[in-house]
Amino acid sequence: MKFSANRLYVERYVKCHNCGILIYETDSEQVKSEAGSLYCTSWCRDWDAKREAAG
Amino acid sequence: MDLVTMNILESTMVSICREMGITLMKTSYSTIFNEALDFTCGLADRNGDMIAVAEFCPAQIGGMPLLIKSCVRELESDGIEEGDVIVHNDPYRGGLHTPEHTFFKPIFVEGELMGYAVSIGHIAEVGGMVPGGFCGEATEIFHEGIRVPPVKIKRRGEDNEDVWKLLLANVRTPRYNYGDLRALISAVDLGERRMQEIFAKYGTDKVAETVSDLLDYSERRMRAELAEIPDGVYTFEDAVENDGIENRRFDIKVKAIKQGDGIIVDYHGSSAQARGPINATLGVTWSATYNAILHLTDPSIPKNSGCFRPIRVLAPPGTVVNVDYPAPEVGGNTETHPRIAGAVIGALAKAVPERAMAAEGCTHGNFVFGGHDKRHDEYFACYDIEVVGWGGRSYADGNDATDSINGNCRVIPVEVFETRFPFRIENWVFLPDSGGPGKYRGGLGYEKTLLCLNDEIVASQMTDRHELEPWGLAGGKAGGKGATLFQRAGASDWQTIAQAFNKQSSSKYSNITIREGDRIKLVMPGGGGHGDPAQRDRAAVAEDLREGYLTAEGARRDYGHREAAE
Repeated sequence: MKFSANRLYVERYVKCHNCGILIYETDSEQVKSEAGSLYCTSWCRDWDAKREAAG
Repeated sequence: MDLVTMNILESTMVSICREMGITLMKTSYSTIFNEALDFTCGLADRNGDMIAVAEFCPAQIGGMPLLIKSCVRELESDGIEEGDVIVHNDPYRGGLHTPEHTFFKPIFVEGELMGYAVSIGHIAEVGGMVPGGFCGEATEIFHEGIRVPPVKIKRRGEDNEDVWKLLLANVRTPRYNYGDLRALISAVDLGERRMQEIFAKYGTDKVAETVSDLLDYSERRMRAELAEIPDGVYTFEDAVENDGIENRRFDIKVKAIKQGDGIIVDYHGSSAQARGPINATLGVTWSATYNAILHLTDPSIPKNSGCFRPIRVLAPPGTVVNVDYPAPEVGGNTETHPRIAGAVIGALAKAVPERAMAAEGCTHGNFVFGGHDKRHDEYFACYDIEVVGWGGRSYADGNDATDSINGNCRVIPVEVFETRFPFRIENWVFLPDSGGPGKYRGGLGYEKTLLCLNDEIVASQMTDRHELEPWGLAGGKAGGKGATLFQRAGASDWQTIAQAFNKQSSSKYSNITIREGDRIKLVMPGGGGHGDPAQRDRAAVAEDLREGYLTAEGARRDYGHREAAE
């Protein structure tokens, strides 16, 4: 979730590429894949990679 | 862990939630609350974990954990003070759909935040394109009514009049909305008061410790249940038949990966989000998944955030199971939720066939209408919930005419409906043969005919199962489909809505004008059957015939009933 500087509106809704949960700017566990996809945790990144690998 | 205190506290908190709900019901203005009971009430700890909930609307029960967490997260920076009441309905921030308004009230004890009282209710009129909230042809969120991020409707115990004015200026029935919003606030006021009594009786440390134990206990109970389900990967898919804009299927694909004492439910492969308003929010998909698993596990497990910990939901963004801003979503909570829950049950039926049911009708009808009532010289709006046949089970027939899996709501009684709204209900009858054939047949659907008594009523609908039948299970056959038909005053023929009003869909449409003397017929689907119909008890077939649940032709066709053929 990217809020405006004055926090009065949402500029962008940001979600985990795998589980779909909202990711806030301050979430410390968020990670990116090599391809640049954003995930809420490394668990979601790894799961998504396994799914992709399995076709 | 003090099991005795935990048990007493859990029962007490559930009773508080029930009392909150009864308060809401008795003080509300609209039939959606005081007759249909489309709400629920709960309690949360200071972290936003749901600690108790009443057994009202399952959609809201399963949606509460994400909803509370999302709001608490956003409110952290604003500061929460004693006497505040926060209102929220934003579907993209943990909400379920635009009509669902959530109220939170912090519970303070000696200046320390200890938790929240929560009420969630479906407000019948929320502005937007159509009276009654369900715009079957919406293509963006802004068609669906006012969207409210978490804001304080009361601040330190005083009304925030600016918020009230904004909310009530954007709806067609401000007097009713005012009463309903007050009822939702009454519920959280009561929850706050009752919990403060509990904290005073037991002490804050003891309550906090016991609640923590309670969440862990629920988690252990759920893990023990899941551990009994054979490990494996179970798949299933169902579909919403159209989105009101495009006449094509939207698939819900489930892959349930059961491993040890946990389960991952993965929806990757489901259709991209629709242009029309059938998209589910993430909160809906969490809720539908929890709902399905609660149906397959021990109902005595205390319902709180703990029992959902072993369940992980993967709902890819930008799909029908996790809508992205600004796509429409109002039907996701009513139509797509039961389709998701049914698909999870369908997948796990392969693992626990004795606990699963065939598909239920999977719709709430969602016939909404409004206009200026010449009898009372006032604008009215109604959200009319209709009910469906449920699926047959491995041990019993499906329930007849019962609200879909996520609702647990009641229909509005005829007398109340006719008093409040300018329609006459001319008939309301079970439809024979609408229960899917099976060893245990599906529950029956019905038809209801409404005669318009007003100069003009504007109506819309968001329903499904007009084309795709409720599926049978274990050799059972499909249940009967639904329909919405229209008869012009003075005419004798019935047309579908698509025919009469040149609409894309007869199940999802908006703003048709019904005039005095016109009729609407709502046909609600039955449930799918369970097991081979040839194995059905012959006495049960004969009884269904006597009761009028089966026609002679249906008994012969579906069950080979010879007496009927003679």
